[in-house]
Amino acid sequence: MSRERILSAIRQGKPDLQPLPEVIGFPSNIADADLADTFLAMVKTNGGIGVRVSSLDEVLAQITSEYDLTLPTLSHVAGLDLNNFTPTENLRLLDDLNLVVLEGQVAVAENAAIWFDEATLGIRALPFITLNVVAIVSERHLVGTMHEVYKRVDLNTSFGTFIAGPSKTADIEQSLVIGAHGSKTMTVFLLP
Amino acid sequence: METTVKTTHHAEAAAAFLRDEENVDWHNETLWFVRSKRDKAANTLPEWEDLREQASRIKNHSLSRLDDYLLELEKNAQQNGITVHWASDADEHNRIVLDIMRQHNATQVVKSKSMLTEECHLNPYLIKHGIDVIDTDLGERIVQLRNEPPSHIVLPAIHLKKKHIGDLFHQHLGTDAGATDPQYLTEAARIHLRQKFLLADVAITGVNFAVAETGGFVVCTNEGNADLGAHLAKVHIACMGIEKVIPKGEHLGVFLRLLARSATGQTTTTYTSHFRRPAPGQTMHLVLVDNGRTRQLASPDFRNSLKCIRCGACMNTCPVYRRSGGHSYHTAIAGPIGSILAPNIDMKQYADLPFASTLCGSCTNVCPVKIDIHQQLYKWRQVLGEAGAIEPTKKAGMTGMDVLFSRPGLYRFAGRAGRRLMKLFPSLANNGKLNPWAIHRDMPEPPAQSFRDWYAEQEKK
Repeated sequence: MSRERILSAIRQGKPDLQPLPEVIGFPSNIADADLADTFLAMVKTNGGIGVRVSSLDEVLAQITSEYDLTLPTLSHVAGLDLNNFTPTENLRLLDDLNLVVLEGQVAVAENAAIWFDEATLGIRALPFITLNVVAIVSERHLVGTMHEVYKRVDLNTSFGTFIAGPSKTADIEQSLVIGAHGSKTMTVFLLP
Repeated sequence: METTVKTTHHAEAAAAFLRDEENVDWHNETLWFVRSKRDKAANTLPEWEDLREQASRIKNHSLSRLDDYLLELEKNAQQNGITVHWASDADEHNRIVLDIMRQHNATQVVKSKSMLTEECHLNPYLIKHGIDVIDTDLGERIVQLRNEPPSHIVLPAIHLKKKHIGDLFHQHLGTDAGATDPQYLTEAARIHLRQKFLLADVAITGVNFAVAETGGFVVCTNEGNADLGAHLAKVHIACMGIEKVIPKGEHLGVFLRLLARSATGQTTTTYTSHFRRPAPGQTMHLVLVDNGRTRQLASPDFRNSLKCIRCGACMNTCPVYRRSGGHSYHTAIAGPIGSILAPNIDMKQYADLPFASTLCGSCTNVCPVKIDIHQQLYKWRQVLGEAGAIEPTKKAGMTGMDVLFSRPGLYRFAGRAGRRLMKLFPSLANNGKLNPWAIHRDMPEPPAQSFRDWYAEQEKK
């Protein structure tokens, strides 16, 4: 059996035990006071739009003016009741989605990565298949580096993803195009 | 897609590539630009070199306990409802994947980037068995339509200009003739591939990292194609080389901070997805592949190559890769890392690759996990030499040099004769057919006397 053969070959050939580093990770280079600005700057670098707001009402006002909410819209954020679309078992119909609004649980300033897990998403395909994504992030849940974020996320979730901006590609002669197969736009609202 | 495995020699293929000087310059500049983006990103982190050291040590440790971590990965994955398979070689990997297709009566497959599946030649195998495989990464789809392999592990179509892609899409996707705007072409690909995602029975992805502690695995993309495939299909098959397992979730922080910065100079890929359980109603499979990796692991000289996280930084920096193009390496993974991996898979077929190098060491310098690539290239040359895999002309040349350099009198005579020849018959010395050194160079003016004679004169004074 291949399993036994492979394991046996590994046992015979592997090097002597090399220890893990005692400390994993490094302290953040980003001062706490700079976390929010750094995060928003990185959102922009990644091709997204980052907006600092003071309340959910502001978010609602901006979404209402920016997006055509008569198009299929799904929101999983309490206080942002924008749903006009009911997902069914037929995931293919999600292709019609124009806007999905989600709350990120924790976000990383060094690269604008925002964590969404199974409980947040409900349906895994949502943030990838929709044309536009809006993410709500609280400043209280902002950390500096990936080392810090892995202390905060629960990797026991059945599925979780970091999303750092709209989809993109540079596969055609290294020309950056925002909007590849995933969402074409991503707006991040940073709340206190 | 037909992946023709040729016994081409890198030097011959490179010579053909080099004939188009304008193209070579462009290819070289483009890749160097990607290298410079990596430098910029690395320089923003004062801890960059320490990060590399940490990553290297985690990988060294993982390889020294590879069996334990694979068992832990398997146990946890199975507990979470993922079916785990083990494949000794490429053929077995392909059969396992086909079996899963057959079980689900699948005929439409979407595949995101997986160099492992390239290595195993999965696509031609599946196509032969009536399965329609669509590569969904834009660069990979482009080369698939062109019926050629990717030329770079991260930037599969780096060897193509937008004109080539415009013509290709006009032919296959119905875009306007002569259109080359990347945005327009990408949009066309988006529409075309979105349909494939929606209709796929099975999604195949690669694995960037598998985490023993959780039994889960991580897939990184900028395009979102891995996720669109995996979350819309009923069956998700993830294929990985056994060396991809790391011990804990916290280690992901180290590798993910290095991966995108090393590959393209980005701080992260747009999407970094962590798969742990199949979605409700979905089946998830993880295929663990050896295909020569255990043999590499057993070699003290070459086992470090298994630390590779497939970032492509070595390719971007390599002066030979930049000027010969990925296809010159006639293997799934090209460039410096490919040249130390391929000979282990098939020594005869890839004997030319460790020689496709100046041993400048730039690759080793940029490798995020500190693989001693250039040293392994050198060591492979010794192995190949002993195995008699060096071609006769090179061998004769080396023997000739050995004779010459070990006989001081003969060496001095040869030097004197050579200088006289160059002085009396310069055109002969500069004839590329007689003197390969002169193919791209003009021979220098011969000095009046050798250094040895000049030095002896100074001594007298």
